[in-house]
Amino acid sequence: MWLELIIGAALALLCGLDRIAILQILISRPIVAAPLTGIFLGEPLIGLQIGVMVELLWLARLPVGAAVPPDDTQVAIAATVLSVALGRQLESISIEMMLVCLLVALPVGKVGQYFDHRARNYNGHLPAQTERALEQGLWRQAQVIHLRGILSFGASSLLTYLIIIAVGLLLIPPAWPLLTRVFSHSASFLQLALPLVGVAVILGTVNVSRSITLFCASFGMAFLLMWLVHP
Amino acid sequence: MKLGWQTRLHVWLRLLFLQASWNYQRMQGLGFLFALLPGLRKLYPEEKIREASKRHAGYFNTHPYLAPLVAGAVLKLEEERATHGEDRSIDIDDFKEIVAAPYAAIGDALFWGGLRPLAAAITLFFAIKGIIWAPLIFLLLYNLVPFWFRIVFFEYGYRHGIQSVDFIQEHNLADWAIHTKEAAVVVLGGLCAFLVFSHLAEHHLPTWPGLLTLIPMVILGLGARKGLSTLLLIFLTCLTIVIFGIFWADLAGFLNY
Amino acid sequence: MNLVLTRIDNRLIHGQVLEAWVPHVQANCIVVASDIVAANPLKRLMMKASVPSRMRVEIGTVDDMVRLLLTDALDDYRILLLFGTPAEALRAYRLGLGYQQLNLGNLHADNGKERFSCTVFLDLPDLKDLESLDQAGIKITARCIPADTERSWRKLIPEIREPD
Repeated sequence: MWLELIIGAALALLCGLDRIAILQILISRPIVAAPLTGIFLGEPLIGLQIGVMVELLWLARLPVGAAVPPDDTQVAIAATVLSVALGRQLESISIEMMLVCLLVALPVGKVGQYFDHRARNYNGHLPAQTERALEQGLWRQAQVIHLRGILSFGASSLLTYLIIIAVGLLLIPPAWPLLTRVFSHSASFLQLALPLVGVAVILGTVNVSRSITLFCASFGMAFLLMWLVHP
Repeated sequence: MKLGWQTRLHVWLRLLFLQASWNYQRMQGLGFLFALLPGLRKLYPEEKIREASKRHAGYFNTHPYLAPLVAGAVLKLEEERATHGEDRSIDIDDFKEIVAAPYAAIGDALFWGGLRPLAAAITLFFAIKGIIWAPLIFLLLYNLVPFWFRIVFFEYGYRHGIQSVDFIQEHNLADWAIHTKEAAVVVLGGLCAFLVFSHLAEHHLPTWPGLLTLIPMVILGLGARKGLSTLLLIFLTCLTIVIFGIFWADLAGFLNY
Repeated sequence: MNLVLTRIDNRLIHGQVLEAWVPHVQANCIVVASDIVAANPLKRLMMKASVPSRMRVEIGTVDDMVRLLLTDALDDYRILLLFGTPAEALRAYRLGLGYQQLNLGNLHADNGKERFSCTVFLDLPDLKDLESLDQAGIKITARCIPADTERSWRKLIPEIREPD
């Protein structure tokens, strides 16, 4: 259990920093972060499936300027860690477990937006410090001040991860017997529905005129083709 | 004097840390100074670095993938300033301010709005197939164009200085963003059709009702356009499915009984 | 004249406007009323280059743009109107441009400006201009993108908050 949580925390930090602070090579996307976590925990397929479910959900929320999108990175990583850790503990690494962990992680992940916001606010004291350093001609120190900003973004990612994990560990085990019964009939449909909701949100908010027409035509054609080919 | 490739590489690498101190007051301002410093150090004597640094510590924000283009051009302008003295016709601050918002708009549309969903949609086909390498496919598919922008345009900016804006004006990147988004929507359509069809086939259900999935999806899409939060839409959908699932199981059990 | 959004934003046309607001309000024409941009040809060109060609863009001084909006030239369009500063928004209103709502986007930090929310920094003249607009019955709200919650500008400003 502890090992899984610690591996998850390391990945939460690395992938979380990619969101804003450094690189932007998009290892922060759920489709990368969740499978990566899965591979390190020895359950690559769990990570992959969670990645598929989370990737599209908030894809329509762009990190434009000062707007802060929901932290799907931490949701994806924490849901994977919870599914594997609790799955091993309760001896049920299953779709139901993944869904329960994900449905807990999604709303709790909202705290990510709050912490991200706080981190950016906290970094607000850095410009004044830089000015003071530059005033004295200490430009070397200005570089250090800039890099210190990474700390607050890292802290924001880690805190978000830890809160999702804590809530998951508290809520899921006691409710698990009931939840398996509730989800047993609908788990596979829910697994299908999550990416579809994400796509629907993208259609509604993408800056493309006639996005719905394009989508329906493409969906209809692909569907009919498969129907033709299907034995 | 000219900046050597080592200095330019140093600046380029530092641009990967552009947003480390992102804040609401200066946004990427401090990061831009951080990236330029190796160049400024080469161009100016120790006592002048202070003055140059102060000029670059102000408000600045653009798209991280297009920041290298700005940084390249600014390095060129600083180089000219260091050799020929201050040029009254171009103010470096003005140049930064003029290009920042349009570049940000283009980058946001092209990369966040267009390429990201397109690469994700294509990758999901591999992921659904159960291919473990799907994340790697995403990273390769996605990063190809951004890294081309980051590397090639950094050099382009450095070569052309203030003229580097011509590229953006001549090539209608804003329209390319729209094309990419349209492509993403079409691929997502195919992806959803595949998801629904294969799910129904797997559970030995009749497949034609799958076409009806379009109705709730369009309704959800219109809800999102009206401003309903994604989280709310997710939970409404899940609740409907769970309730329906329980009801369905009871009905099936009752019929079998 | 069909104004679907009137916004004050220092950055004028940028990602938030094009990627979030344009699809939300289904605008097909952006009007930028800013004297500074109108006076700078390079700035105008760059701004036009960042907008997809299927959208109409009009950039000019506040006076010119108000005159344009008051004719019927743009009657077929759903217009998104952008100002650079509160003063320009007030001037447009005084020139006879009737709008009911005003959205505050990014008004970034500068010397002498005080922070009212993460993205809204105002100085005393700005506050006075907004106050005049408010008294004229215009609903002023702060909201960066449609997914954010909308807040009345009075909630941001403690000293003139209405008694509740």
